[in-house]
Amino acid sequence: MTPDPRLEEEISRTWRDPPGLWGFIATVDHKRIAARYIVTALLLMFLAGMLAIDMRWQLTVPENTRMTPQLYNESFSLHGSTMLYLVSVPVMEAMAFWLVPLMLGARNMAFPRLGAFSYWLYLGGVLTLWIAHAMDITPDLGWFEYPPLAGPAYSPGHRADIWAQMITFTEVAALCASVNVAATILKMRPPGMTLARMPVFLWAMLIASIMTILSMPAIMLVTSMLIADRMVSTHFFSPGAGGDVILFQHLFWFFGHPEVYIIFIPATGFVSSIVETFSRRRLFGHSVLVLSIISIGALAFGLWVHHMFAVGLPRLGNDFYTAASMAIALPAGLQIFCWIATMWSGRPRFDTPMLWVIAFVLTFVIGGLSGIMTASAALDLQLTDTYFIVAHFHYVLVGGALFPLFGAFCYWYPKATGRMMSERWGKIALVGIVGGFNLGFFPMHLLGLMGMPRRVYTYPTGMGWDTLNQIATAGSVISVLGGLVFVANALLSYWRGAPSGADPWQGSTLEWASASPAPPWNFDYTPVVHSLTPMWDESRPLPVMDGLANDHREVLITSVTDAAPLYRQKSASPSIWPIVAALAVTIMFIASIFTPWAVPLGSVLIGAALTGWFWPPRPRAKQGPLGTGA
Amino acid sequence: MACAAVLATACSREAREVGVTPPQTPPVGNEDPRIAAYQDNLYQVSEGGRYFAWYGCSGCHSETPNNVVNLADSQWRYGFGFAQVYGAIAARHGRFAYGKRVPVEQLWQLTAYVRDLSSHFPEKRRRVNADQKAEPVGGSWQGPQ
Amino acid sequence: MRRVPILLAALLLGGCDGIQSVMSPAGDGAAALHDLLLLSVAVCGAIYLLVMGGLGWSLWRRRAETVSEPASEEPALDRSLWVAAAVILAGLTILIIGSFLADQALFATRGSEALQLRVTGHQYWWRIEYRDPATGRWIETANELHLPQGRTARVALGSADVIHSFWVPNVAGKIDMVPGRRNLIDLTPRRLGWFRGQCSEYCGTQHAHMAFDVKVDSPAVFDAWLMAQARPANAVAGPVAARGASVFAGPCAACHAVRGTGAGGRAGPDLTHFASRRSIAAGTLPMTRGNVQAWITQPQALKPGVPMPAVPLSPQDADAVAHYLATLR
Repeated sequence: MTPDPRLEEEISRTWRDPPGLWGFIATVDHKRIAARYIVTALLLMFLAGMLAIDMRWQLTVPENTRMTPQLYNESFSLHGSTMLYLVSVPVMEAMAFWLVPLMLGARNMAFPRLGAFSYWLYLGGVLTLWIAHAMDITPDLGWFEYPPLAGPAYSPGHRADIWAQMITFTEVAALCASVNVAATILKMRPPGMTLARMPVFLWAMLIASIMTILSMPAIMLVTSMLIADRMVSTHFFSPGAGGDVILFQHLFWFFGHPEVYIIFIPATGFVSSIVETFSRRRLFGHSVLVLSIISIGALAFGLWVHHMFAVGLPRLGNDFYTAASMAIALPAGLQIFCWIATMWSGRPRFDTPMLWVIAFVLTFVIGGLSGIMTASAALDLQLTDTYFIVAHFHYVLVGGALFPLFGAFCYWYPKATGRMMSERWGKIALVGIVGGFNLGFFPMHLLGLMGMPRRVYTYPTGMGWDTLNQIATAGSVISVLGGLVFVANALLSYWRGAPSGADPWQGSTLEWASASPAPPWNFDYTPVVHSLTPMWDESRPLPVMDGLANDHREVLITSVTDAAPLYRQKSASPSIWPIVAALAVTIMFIASIFTPWAVPLGSVLIGAALTGWFWPPRPRAKQGPLGTGA
Repeated sequence: MACAAVLATACSREAREVGVTPPQTPPVGNEDPRIAAYQDNLYQVSEGGRYFAWYGCSGCHSETPNNVVNLADSQWRYGFGFAQVYGAIAARHGRFAYGKRVPVEQLWQLTAYVRDLSSHFPEKRRRVNADQKAEPVGGSWQGPQ
Repeated sequence: MRRVPILLAALLLGGCDGIQSVMSPAGDGAAALHDLLLLSVAVCGAIYLLVMGGLGWSLWRRRAETVSEPASEEPALDRSLWVAAAVILAGLTILIIGSFLADQALFATRGSEALQLRVTGHQYWWRIEYRDPATGRWIETANELHLPQGRTARVALGSADVIHSFWVPNVAGKIDMVPGRRNLIDLTPRRLGWFRGQCSEYCGTQHAHMAFDVKVDSPAVFDAWLMAQARPANAVAGPVAARGASVFAGPCAACHAVRGTGAGGRAGPDLTHFASRRSIAAGTLPMTRGNVQAWITQPQALKPGVPMPAVPLSPQDADAVAHYLATLR
């Protein structure tokens, strides 16, 4: 069915955002919200990178007095907290927000206003931490703030509370985003996209969302317990009063370990999509890939103690957690096999996204293997809290999540903007980033083995650590320069890139069926799917289904396993309530740093905002069993 | 404007000046301009709390039944002004002679801490003391926690 | 030209044989872990080469040959998947068994007769106590650990304030010092010499400067050292030292103990045999007269944030105190 201009006109009137500032604030278009998330996260990545360069500069020479210890401690705390809570997880959520409806042939997410709300709340968390930094009250206790150092006796003031509330912001935002993504993937798939025909990318986003929902409560609980200890004198973590310091670590890492897989699993989704398209064959081992993602998601909840091997826990657990931590290499390794097998039996094209995937394999596998080394409870006693671990987690997070993210950015950039990024500058940026990263972080494995601990603002002369630190600094600087080239490429291509058309890469999944950039309503008609790679099927034009109303916002809800159409659901229009509710929540969270009364009083405010949000818009029924008859 | 004012004062309360030149002389009266940097600064007050134990003050001044003087009860024998409390610590302890044994900067921190004590709930003082249970107190140490 | 790679290797890897190195084991625990490290590097290195080989072959392959149907290659790939799974499992099994055996080795000395020590972490120094087997009393020192070669020292680790971590890489792995817990570590050094340990759990502003020296002596030399540490301080000799001792009795004695004199403060490190140590301020500076004097007069300049206050002393008093401390051998 070819869309006709009157249809386009009607859909556009229904789905487009109001113009100007009002449209900006009230939009519920998942693509605009995702773009905001991504821009904010990239800006924070840049700021965190500047902190990192500052720290690396400090460590270039021994006994350096350029940075005071207070400033350095604030820097690594801010760098870690920003990258882990404010960049990595949100940017993966953002990619899900942006791509999931497009890949499902849907017009919006399941809960559009909730999506807007989660962005504003995330922004609240960003501002909480970074405005505190601007006011020079940066939290300085690391990205995890262990008590008793973070308790009231050894951390006076509110720095630790600012950190803890930033966590609460971002975790509530993450929970909202995950519920949204999971509901969309489970209930809004196009007819014919049974679970067996769901692309690996969507499986990855679904599993990551479920993991978020299961793990976030632990960190919200533990940071609230910490604030309670500091503000209302509970004794959760105070051994002198009957509490337990290790309880904090258990609860924190119960969240902390799944979190890193929440960051990694969406990256496996990116890699799967890119490998399929650029190998020009359907992914090998679809079932293996899906089962690997599910088993990584499940296993990730049973490994947290490997962050605590040096704490002195009973030995009985050592072998179990060692075996479990190593076992997760099996599904991860099989995924790598499947991707390489796809390339082996396909016809690889070496455009920039594919090069990022190759960089991912080269880099992430090193990180995974250093992780296998630290998985041993015994060997970890030498490796933990040294630069070996710094090397390990940067290899898995940068190599395993950021490289696929950059590849995904290049891959889907044409879909978002209608332009192609420059291939030449993309490759230059890649060489800078990947080469600089490896030059910068590989020496850290050796530094850790040579005895250099973490979180030190300087080190003595004569330890033999000088040269490797200098190489690490040089590599980091090169990497950041590469990053600047990448960002410049992205910005300049927005205005000067070659027009891309709807499907520049001959992609396999549904997002390539919409225009580039996709209009607010994504698709004129609902696609009907018969295989895992609908865009590669023989039938042209694509089979579609009609029936969604065009004069008001509506989406199609289908069943969970078979994607059989069930009913049409009204989809929310642009609304002021998400930002109002986010403001109410922000006021409560920030005020509760200073007084516990903020919790009951703030709840009243939030209740008012939610009442406005959920105020029923439908008129009362006049007929039917509940009708008023009149 | 009120928010900005609150924010501005909040910053200075949280400031953590480490290694900067400390005062070398006692306070000059209760209006000495250097007082704010200590009395209103949470870090200095908490440092005073640590020295309160290390110099042995908590041996006699605590909220347990057998203490000498409960400093948290808002009763000030020599006056509440900063210089008055400073003088009480430095010169009014007879043979302990804290004015000679405790450096000037630490006396400032101790004064700020002592004057701050009564503004906290007893639970908070107990909670902080519980965390500092294993700290040495003057010439005695109970062992690690 | 041939010297360049050697020079480069020396520059890059100079710390491998160092006094704070995992790769230069001088004790039983470190030796077991070093063996496991080599095994892990070998297995992981082999796997990495396999993966890189597979990737390289995949990308290289399609350039030369004509395109054939992917479907016809599925059975070969399916079989290879099983092989890959088997290789991964084999590698993991080797490493899990290796880890289990190393874990057994680390705790092998439990239940045997050992020298008893107690090390407590403070912000930012180490209180070290030896149990005298004859009398049962605790002999206290600070910031420098001596161990007898070939004998097991069982260290009870605790903390007076926040979480620290006790780590001497050449001798053993690390164990945290957690408030509210008592952790034990067995140290069995095999090589004589000096080593260095450092705190490995972020504990505050000066975490970077919380280190300690470790000396491994032959058992006879160690016993002599311990006996010397148990004795009270040397008598004060000379007018300068006497002046130093009287200045010390004021501000310094409030926190530092010198056994045999009136100085009995426990808040700071025990200084009874201060001059016999190799470094000061928990491994921050080497023990020299100039460093000691600088440390006494301006600790905040050398280790900003350290709890030791800057005591205002006249230059003559500072010199006298440094002179006095130098007699505390």
